[in-house]
Amino acid sequence: MATRVVDPDEDLVSRVGQGDPAAIQAMVARKLPRMLALAQRMLNDPSEAEDVAQETMLKAWRQAPRWTPGKARFDTWLHRVALNLCYDRLRRRREVLTDTMPDRADPGPSPDQGLQTAELGARVDAALAALPERQREAIVLCHYQELGNIEAAALMDISVEALESLLSRGRRALRASLAETARNEGVLK
Amino acid sequence: MNAQRFQDLAEAYGADVRRWPEAERDAARAFMEADTHGAERLLFEARQMDLALDAAPRPMVSHALREQVIALAAAAGLKPRARFAFRRLAWASGAGWAAASVAGVLVGLNLSQPAVTRAEADAVLYQSQLLALDDTEVLG
Repeated sequence: MATRVVDPDEDLVSRVGQGDPAAIQAMVARKLPRMLALAQRMLNDPSEAEDVAQETMLKAWRQAPRWTPGKARFDTWLHRVALNLCYDRLRRRREVLTDTMPDRADPGPSPDQGLQTAELGARVDAALAALPERQREAIVLCHYQELGNIEAAALMDISVEALESLLSRGRRALRASLAETARNEGVLK
Repeated sequence: MNAQRFQDLAEAYGADVRRWPEAERDAARAFMEADTHGAERLLFEARQMDLALDAAPRPMVSHALREQVIALAAAAGLKPRARFAFRRLAWASGAGWAAASVAGVLVGLNLSQPAVTRAEADAVLYQSQLLALDDTEVLG
């Protein structure tokens, strides 16, 4: 017999399914920022990210009344929905923009500016966007969405070892990319 | 856990051991206790990378998006069932306040006049229930 999955959202989902307005508000407060952040980091496009977050939450509203507790975590299911929507959009982008898409994202502001925190953040965003899709996904799920390795690997449909490899390569590539940007700007000590 | 595995984990999951695979956290902590300086050296680059990742801005949910998503709940058929509607109505009608007042009265009575006034309290409670029902009927 399968083990019952402990889900911290179980009670909330149940109340959402019953149409409890307070639970709906609480679910929005708890999940919408996470879904928006996931989509934004996967797509690097605020408008598309909002669309994905909205569509994900709509699917959550439809799912809540028929959610079976104990089989999976609702948060994992939400990530699956949002990731699938992101994959669809990334696939469409590849189909439409194969010839015009740049190999690397715009590195950001002009070289004479120092690496202040906000600027570093923008550089990281750009470097993240330039990573191969699967490496970016692994970092987004594990670092930003704070999912465990087993959960993230399951969402990506890969082994934990493969996830670990993607994470290592992704972080190494990010570090190299940031170091290169800094070197080009002459700020590397 | 040996130094190589510790380094592999740091390179994959970052410097915060809480993000590492659950099955390996205890061994990692033991490794850190046994060789603090060595562990810190291995964690240094991972910590720098964590800081850089954390510098990336967190997307903010706009008021408009939040409102749209809440509105979608109704569009998806999520509407308060009777008991939520009744609870809100009862509260708005003052029945909830009446019940709270009665509860306060009951506590006071129990503290000061335990036995003598119990019958009176029962009567107050009964009255308030009647009042609440009347309110609900009027408003509902």
